[in-house]
Amino acid sequence: MIHRMLVGAAIVAAGVAAAPLMAEPDVAAAVPNFRALDMHGKVVDLSAYRGRTVVLEWNNPGCPFVKKHYGSGNMQRTQAAATAQGVVWLTINSGAPGLQGHMTGAEAQKFVAAEKAKPTAYLLDPKGLVGKGYGAKTTPHLYIIDGQGRLAYKGGIDDRPTADAADIAGARNHVLAALAEMRAGKPVSVPETRPYGCSVKYAG
Amino acid sequence: MAAVRFGLMALLLWLFAGVALAQAPGEEHVKITLVAESDRPAPGSEVTLALASVPEKGWHAYWLNPGDAGLPARAEWILPKGASTGEIRYPVPERLTIAGLMNYVYEGPFAPLVTLRIPADATGAFPVRVKLNYLVCTDAICVPGKADLSTTLQIGDGSVVSSIRAQFDVWRAALPRPLGAEGIYQVDGKALRLAIPFPAAATAQGEGYFFPATHGAFDYAAPQKVARDGDRVVVETAGVKSVGPIEGLLAFGKQGFWVRAVPGAVPAAKAAPAQMPWSGALFAFLGAVLGGLILNIMPCVFPILSLKALSLAKANAEGGDPRAEALAYTAGVVLVCLALGGSLLALRAGGATLGWAFQLQDPRVILVLLLLVAGIAFNLAGLFELSAPGFVNRATARGTGGAFMTGALAAFVATPCTGPFMGAALGAALVLPWPAALAVFGGLGLGIALPFLLLGFVPAFRRLLPRPGAWMETLRRILSVPMFLTALALAWVLGRQAGVAGMTIGLAAALLATLGLWWAGLRQRRGKARAWLPAVPLLALALAATALVSAAPAGTGAVVPGAEKFSEARLAELTAQGKPVFAYFTADWCLTCKVNEKAVIETDAVARALADHKVTVLVGDWTDGDPALGRFIERHNRAGVPLYLWYKPGEAEPRVLPQILTQAMLVDLASKG
Repeated sequence: MIHRMLVGAAIVAAGVAAAPLMAEPDVAAAVPNFRALDMHGKVVDLSAYRGRTVVLEWNNPGCPFVKKHYGSGNMQRTQAAATAQGVVWLTINSGAPGLQGHMTGAEAQKFVAAEKAKPTAYLLDPKGLVGKGYGAKTTPHLYIIDGQGRLAYKGGIDDRPTADAADIAGARNHVLAALAEMRAGKPVSVPETRPYGCSVKYAG
Repeated sequence: MAAVRFGLMALLLWLFAGVALAQAPGEEHVKITLVAESDRPAPGSEVTLALASVPEKGWHAYWLNPGDAGLPARAEWILPKGASTGEIRYPVPERLTIAGLMNYVYEGPFAPLVTLRIPADATGAFPVRVKLNYLVCTDAICVPGKADLSTTLQIGDGSVVSSIRAQFDVWRAALPRPLGAEGIYQVDGKALRLAIPFPAAATAQGEGYFFPATHGAFDYAAPQKVARDGDRVVVETAGVKSVGPIEGLLAFGKQGFWVRAVPGAVPAAKAAPAQMPWSGALFAFLGAVLGGLILNIMPCVFPILSLKALSLAKANAEGGDPRAEALAYTAGVVLVCLALGGSLLALRAGGATLGWAFQLQDPRVILVLLLLVAGIAFNLAGLFELSAPGFVNRATARGTGGAFMTGALAAFVATPCTGPFMGAALGAALVLPWPAALAVFGGLGLGIALPFLLLGFVPAFRRLLPRPGAWMETLRRILSVPMFLTALALAWVLGRQAGVAGMTIGLAAALLATLGLWWAGLRQRRGKARAWLPAVPLLALALAATALVSAAPAGTGAVVPGAEKFSEARLAELTAQGKPVFAYFTADWCLTCKVNEKAVIETDAVARALADHKVTVLVGDWTDGDPALGRFIERHNRAGVPLYLWYKPGEAEPRVLPQILTQAMLVDLASKG
């Protein structure tokens, strides 16, 4: 299993090699594949979900912007609404060991249970390889990948860049809006926004 | 019972104290204070407010564009009816890269400024309140913060306490200055190129960096290459896509300029070192050798070289080692050229704008050279002999050490002569990769040394040299003439740089040194021991004069005849006398200003019109961001230069002229007084 994870890491690493710091797929471009361990130690392979819409959500439970959306239940509601439509939701933690928000599998299980979060899987990316392969910069930072493996959306969860839960009520949820447009066969009207939040706590 | 009650009270107090402590400033990680420049603003006026912020050690607050992550502060102002605030103006931020993510932040004290407009009907107490939402982070965690700040002003006479004004001036100096001219940027694939108009003559110290304020075009974490290329600065970095007009902050060290740019085609900087072909470098090298060769007949070098040639002729006659001398001489010339070129490259790399012969831009260096050249001239003229050991002595002495020193001296003295016809070539050399640039400087030295190498290594050339004899003494006297001419030229340069006073000090120092040398010469002729003893203090005194000369202040060298340095006092004096005044505000880094000055203000037609109608011209130089000038400019609703004001007698307010001037406009205004 460890061997497989290393292979997955190597694939992403190859994608990252072109740009030393960050690679960032463009909207409508094919996204890099990855394989990573989930919180139960199971390997999750992105390509296995080909044909289905996949949402990637970058997570750091210590970040006040993440707390805004989990504490209010907004993130869980969005996850539930997406997965109810058959969408795959992958929450990814790219926090490096020793930094804020880094979690072991057991800690992640506790977090998901306590927050009643509804992701399809919670992935651990302590080396930041998946995060850097996607150019994930903030927590939260969201990506939507369509059934053909192309990027349909990247950016923030909504249009209110604050840490104040009171701002959720009047905000436009970019993820739900994009998913609804994709389901209706329409182009995503807002395919890219500026993500907001804490920086992803990558290793060194 | 009482004891229990006391216990409860104590517990409650402790709990409250705990709550209070949890919200103490220490927990907020950035201490923010709302300060007004004037506590007694006048009705209908504007007063500057500062959000003086001090982040806790290890914490940072964000610029208006936080970079890859983070958030800028948001302010909600609660003001009396009719009052309003402008945009928050931020000082030049710092870069903080954490694990490959770029953050534009403040890690030390900083003060965003805001302009508050007081309504004309305001009276009495004037409460100002702001609710701030901000984010502070360490490299590991982020904490959102809130602050509710308020202060109450009293509507009054607008007086400003001088200590507070000084503090605000420090804060103002940290703000970027608007550049005025518009830049162009181009996103080509993942490459972004931004060209910003910035005069070649403007100095810019420190590392260049462009902080994008508009999101979307720049890849923040990508390294930037900032190059000066003629009248523009070219920023090359990785981009994302073209997003229409952008704004941002061009910083050189702590100095910032606010820039607007629109999409368009941007040619690459000519100074692209990687693309310079080696054939070009070879050409430059050969050109430098040729240039060095020609330098041998320049008036400032020729006498020294002639003497060296004579000494070589002597060596020839007396069976010295001409080859060793020629090589030592070459080494001296080439090493000094390399050292000058190398330090020039090093300073350039540090961001300073320097030209060749940069050492001659400092009047103190000119003064030392003046003394040296005058000394050599008087030596050639026979005032004294160089028999005692010493540095200059070796210049005419025989031996390899002497030859080395002669070479070094020749190269150092030669640099002013290179200016006129070698300056451009050497300037081009500066943009070559540094090994090639050094090769060009070395080539210049080689060129200077070439005649001596020939003399040293080809006996046939040496045989062409005349036999030593009494004629040498006569030639030496004649050669003092070009040396005196060089001294004259240096005195002129000194006058240009340090003004009449500086030139007088220089000439006095030369006189003092000459007296010392003369005295030494007299003692030499009488065959006294320690002939140099009385000359030493006089020479030291002459050298001490370097402490007295300094460059004349820039900006006063008015190019319009009769133009004066701007001051509000002078302006008030002139307008009170009912005289027409044309006040213009400029800066070395302002391209529009320079274009207007060259094409309009400094033309004969305009200068004549201004003089004929007795218009006083006042020039304010804002190159260094003088806060007093800044305040004056702001009062005329301009954030920066250029600003052109025309004060017509009898009119209370000046006319603010457009930023693009025409000759006809100024001539017309002058004729109407």
